[in-house]
Amino acid sequence: MPKGPAVIAKELKKAFGDVEALRGVSLEIPRGVTFGLLGPNGAGKTTFIRICLGLTRPTSGTASVLGEDIPPRAMLPKIGYMPQDLAVYLDLTVAENLALFGRLVGMEEEAIEKRTDEVLKIVDIAERRDSLASTLSGGMRRRASLAAALLHDPDLLLLDEPTVGVDPELRAAFWVYFQDLTKRGRTVLITTHYMEEASNCDLAALLHRGRLLICDGPAAIKEKTRAENLDDAFLTLVREANAA
Amino acid sequence: MTMRRVLAVTRKTLSQFRHDRRTLGFVVMMPLLMVVVFGYTFGGEVHDVRTLVVNDDAGPMAGRLLENVTGDTLAIESWTDVAAARAEVVAGRAWAVVAFPENFTANLPPGNDTAAITVVLDGSSPPIRAAVLGTLRAALEKTFAGAGAPFALEQDYVYGSEDTRFIDSFAPGVVALAVLMVTTILSVIMVVRERGGGILERLFSTSLRPSEFVFGLALALAVIAVAQSAVVLGAALLLFNVQVVGNIALAFAILLLFAIGNQGLGIMMSSAAKNELQAIQFVPLILFPSLLLTGVFFPLEAIPGGLRPLSYVVPLTYAADALHSVMLRGWGIGDFGVALDVLILLVYDALTLLGAAVFVRRQA
Repeated sequence: MPKGPAVIAKELKKAFGDVEALRGVSLEIPRGVTFGLLGPNGAGKTTFIRICLGLTRPTSGTASVLGEDIPPRAMLPKIGYMPQDLAVYLDLTVAENLALFGRLVGMEEEAIEKRTDEVLKIVDIAERRDSLASTLSGGMRRRASLAAALLHDPDLLLLDEPTVGVDPELRAAFWVYFQDLTKRGRTVLITTHYMEEASNCDLAALLHRGRLLICDGPAAIKEKTRAENLDDAFLTLVREANAA
Repeated sequence: MTMRRVLAVTRKTLSQFRHDRRTLGFVVMMPLLMVVVFGYTFGGEVHDVRTLVVNDDAGPMAGRLLENVTGDTLAIESWTDVAAARAEVVAGRAWAVVAFPENFTANLPPGNDTAAITVVLDGSSPPIRAAVLGTLRAALEKTFAGAGAPFALEQDYVYGSEDTRFIDSFAPGVVALAVLMVTTILSVIMVVRERGGGILERLFSTSLRPSEFVFGLALALAVIAVAQSAVVLGAALLLFNVQVVGNIALAFAILLLFAIGNQGLGIMMSSAAKNELQAIQFVPLILFPSLLLTGVFFPLEAIPGGLRPLSYVVPLTYAADALHSVMLRGWGIGDFGVALDVLILLVYDALTLLGAAVFVRRQA
C-alpha cells in the first residue's frame, strides 16, 4: 500500500457565481482512518467531495487523492462514492445496479457476483437482491447505493450523508463496518450533519459556510471547546466563528 | 368542493408556468410554428419537376403542344438525345423525359390512328408521376381540344410502375420517421432522467468517460431502433404489400446510421432541458419539420422554394431519400445518390456524437 495521506487539500476555494461554497479549505486525511466531515446543510461538504472526485473544478487551490492530483482519473476505480442523491437506477434490480457499477470500475464478472452477495449482507438487503430498485423503500435504496460504493472494496470511500434515513440499529451496524474497513487499511470519509455521529470517527472536521473551523480527534475537540458532547462543541465553534 | 381549494390548485399551476418560462413560451410558440409550417407546406402543389424534352418532331405540333405546358409544375429543359436524357432519369437527376418522334405531326389523327409520345418516368414517387402525366394531358387537351384524338402516352418506367402506390412511396420515409421519434425522444428523456437522479454524476465518478457513456447509450438505442424498423417494415410488407425492390440489409444499415445520429442529437438536446416536461417539448420541434419538410409524405418538389433550404438541414431528408432510392429504385451504395446520403448521415453521426460527449460532461 502506498504511503502518504489519502486526501490532501490546500486552500481549496470554489465559487458558484456569487455563492462561495468553499473559502480556502486545507486539510489532510491520513490513510486508514474514519474521517467525519461535519457541518450544517450548505456548509460545502458535498462540494469538497465532488472536487476530490474531479466532478467539479476548484476555483483555486490544489488537492490530491490517493497520491494523484485532481482530477484523479487513474485513482477513480480505487474510490467508492455514495452521493447524497440515491443514484441507483430505479428500473433495474439491485443486483443489476451493482453489476453496472462493478463493470465500470473494471471488476470481473465472477468477482461481481461474489461481492454482490457479500455487500448486500452488509447493508442488510440480501433478500431484495433481485427486486427492482423502484420497489424498495427510501432507506433500502440508500443501502443499495452504499452497496454499490462498497462493491469493489475501494481504498477510499467517499460517503455523502450515508446514514440519512437509516434506522438507528442499522446505523450502528454501519459504523462498526466502517471501523472494520479502516482496520484493514481503508480510508472512509463520511459527511453528516448529525454532529454526534462524529464520535464514531477517528478524526472529525467541522465545515461552516465554506470554512474549516476545526479538524481533530473527537476527544480533543471536546477538550478544546470544554464541551460535554460534540453537539455542544460544534455549537460553541460556530458561535465563535459568527462572532469573529 | 370548496372554491378556495380549487383556486389554490389553479394558482399553484399558473405559478409553475410563471417559473418555467420555457414551457410558457412553448405553449405560445408551438401552435404558431405549426400553423405557419402546415400552412405553407400542406396543399402545396408539386412544382419545378425537372423534365427533359427531346423534340425530334419534323412538324410544328410538338412545339405547339409544349407552348401549352403552362404553370410551374414542370421545369422543362430541351435535350437532343433520348438515351442521354433517359440516363439522367436513371441517375435520379431528372424525373421524366418527354420524347416526340420525328413523325409526330405527320402521324396526327384523324389522318392516322395514333400519335405516340414517349414518357420516360421515375415512377418511384406517385405524386410526381401524377403531376407529370397530368400536366401533359392538360396540354394535350388544350392543343387538340375537340379532336378526340386517341393519344398514346407511352409510359416507360425507369423505376416503379403504374402500380406504384402512394403508400409504397412513403413507406421508407415513415419507417425513418418512426426511428427518428423513438431514438431522439428516448435519448433526451433518458439523459434528463439520469441527470435528475444524480446517476450521471455517479457514473462519471467511476472513470467512465463521457464518450463511452454516449456510445454505450447510442448502441443500446440503435438495437431498439433496428428492432422497431423490422416491425414497422414487416407490417408494411405484410399488411400493405409495400413494394421493395432493393437491398433490405442496406436499408437497415441506413436506418442504423440515422438512429445513431438521432441519439447524439437527443443527448445534446437534453442539456437544454431542465426536466422531463421540457424534454417532451422537443417532440413537436423534431416531429413537425421532419413530417413536413423532408419529402416523407410529399416530394421535396412540393415544398415551397422559400422553405426548401430548411429541408436540406433536416437529417431525415437524407435518410428518407436514401431509403427511397434503395427500396423503390433498387439503388445500392455504389449509386451516387445513396452514397452521398450515407456520407451526410455519417457526418451527422460524427458531429452529434461529438457534441453529445461534450454536453454530457457538462451535465454531470
